Amino acid sequence: MQDFETLLKGSAKDHGHLCPGQVVGVRMAMLGCELIGLDDPQNLPQIKKIIVYVEIDRCATDAISYVTGVKLGRRSLKFVDNGIMAATFVNLETNRAFRILSTEESRELAIKYGPTTKDKHIQQLEAYKIMPLEELFMVEEVKVEIPIYEMPGPTRFKAVCQQCKVLVRDKKEVYKNGQILCRPCAFGTYHQAIEKSKKVV
Amino acid sequence: MPQKKNNPLPEYVQKKVKIEDAVGLALAHDITEIRPGEFKGPSFRKGHKIERKDLCRLMRLGKRHLYILKLDKWQVHEDKAVLELAVALAGPGVTFGRQPREGKITLKAAYSGLFKVNVDPLINFNLIPEVMCASIHNNTPVTKGQTLAGTRAIPLVIHRNILDKAVDIARIHYPVFSVKVLSHAKARLIITGNEVYDGLIEDKFEDIVTKKLEAYGASLVETVILPDDESMIADKVKVFLNEGADLIITTGGMSVDPDDVTRLGIKKVGVDRIYYSAAVLPGAMFQLAYKGDVPIVGIPACALYHETTIFDLILPRLLAGEKPDNKDLARFAHGGLCLDCPTCHFPACSFGKTG
Repeated sequence: MQDFETLLKGSAKDHGHLCPGQVVGVRMAMLGCELIGLDDPQNLPQIKKIIVYVEIDRCATDAISYVTGVKLGRRSLKFVDNGIMAATFVNLETNRAFRILSTEESRELAIKYGPTTKDKHIQQLEAYKIMPLEELFMVEEVKVEIPIYEMPGPTRFKAVCQQCKVLVRDKKEVYKNGQILCRPCAFGTYHQAIEKSKKVV
Repeated sequence: MPQKKNNPLPEYVQKKVKIEDAVGLALAHDITEIRPGEFKGPSFRKGHKIERKDLCRLMRLGKRHLYILKLDKWQVHEDKAVLELAVALAGPGVTFGRQPREGKITLKAAYSGLFKVNVDPLINFNLIPEVMCASIHNNTPVTKGQTLAGTRAIPLVIHRNILDKAVDIARIHYPVFSVKVLSHAKARLIITGNEVYDGLIEDKFEDIVTKKLEAYGASLVETVILPDDESMIADKVKVFLNEGADLIITTGGMSVDPDDVTRLGIKKVGVDRIYYSAAVLPGAMFQLAYKGDVPIVGIPACALYHETTIFDLILPRLLAGEKPDNKDLARFAHGGLCLDCPTCHFPACSFGKTG
């Protein structure tokens, strides 16, 4: 694995800017990989051994993805919408997993470790670079049971929605009122139709 | 025939080979690694195909010989077999982990709802030798992640034809296991009784019904108290139907006394189907009617006294979109007797487990 500064530089470029979240994300990912015994997760064969669950969709998530190489499209990055700055790193081979939580105390400790400045952003950014891991994070070893249909690899499960006939992959269908349905048909959509008859394409 | 799991494997299934000759062959057993204070567990799992890069690690673990599986094309390892069984058995709302543990896969609820079992095919599945699957009862309300069933191939190695036969039963009768989503129904409640209407006693039903609905994600949006008047009850039911109620619940007035007219009031609405009496104690004087898609439930007064009644058995079924009929109400007979325990452990008891 590359050194911290190199990874941070790459991550910031990939994300679009350098921010405290990038620092936290890079350090979290480096620690996570170390804990599950992977030193080259972006390349074969380790690329197939890692899955990361992120619990927030903010800056740090991009840094985690950059360092570990996990991607939504590869099914190695899982998003659990908890709004918590935490991620769980899973080694699929050994089944060991560690959840790393960014501590709230670290925000206050930025004064201790960061430069004296009124700019909180800079203070946090610099502080998180050198803050001891035990103050920056809370780590626990956990067990993650990954359902078979959430694993990377070819689609093994397919169902057809009995209402709209759309193909639903990976066992995301539900059984409602005696019908196998896609989630939009069962629970409603996040979008609203504007003009039903008019097709854009 | 393949041997049982705990017996030594017959020679035609496993073979001792020198480690350097094992590349490309499958391990017949787990190989445990112990790193003091750091790790203890299988470093290579049973069925793992030995690669050249594994040799150094195996040698460091003190291995010079290995037992390897020599399976022909008709023989399927238990871990592979049980995955095929689980895939075939698990319908919508049923999930399972990617790795069998001790040859077994546990099926769990992918979301909360009503667990359904296609019972006869499940029994037929278990009549196939060398496979098994055991589940909790049909029609049990379950929460996300709850264990529903366990399945396994019994011997270490199973014949392909036997496995296919079991898988076919599950596929033909798909889904053997499923979880139905419970609707967030908006219920309306009619509390009947002159004594409540006249203010002689305080109503207790609203709290009871609210708690039971909310436990399943449904809600009570309107409550009215009416006297024992057939026409007033019928009119209010009609109003609720016009207002678009998902579920109408009435309480009291289900008995046979002259003032018990609630069930007659419901009948007067002109319902499509109506069933009176259920093979459940407590809850024998239960009424279930349907007008279009809307169930109209008549809860007898016993639900004021007993913590668990017929209502607890029927409510999740209705919320799952089912329309139980008189046969379903009769089917409750076997298991429909509440033991009225000093501390109620329902649903962890025999009540309502009709199989």
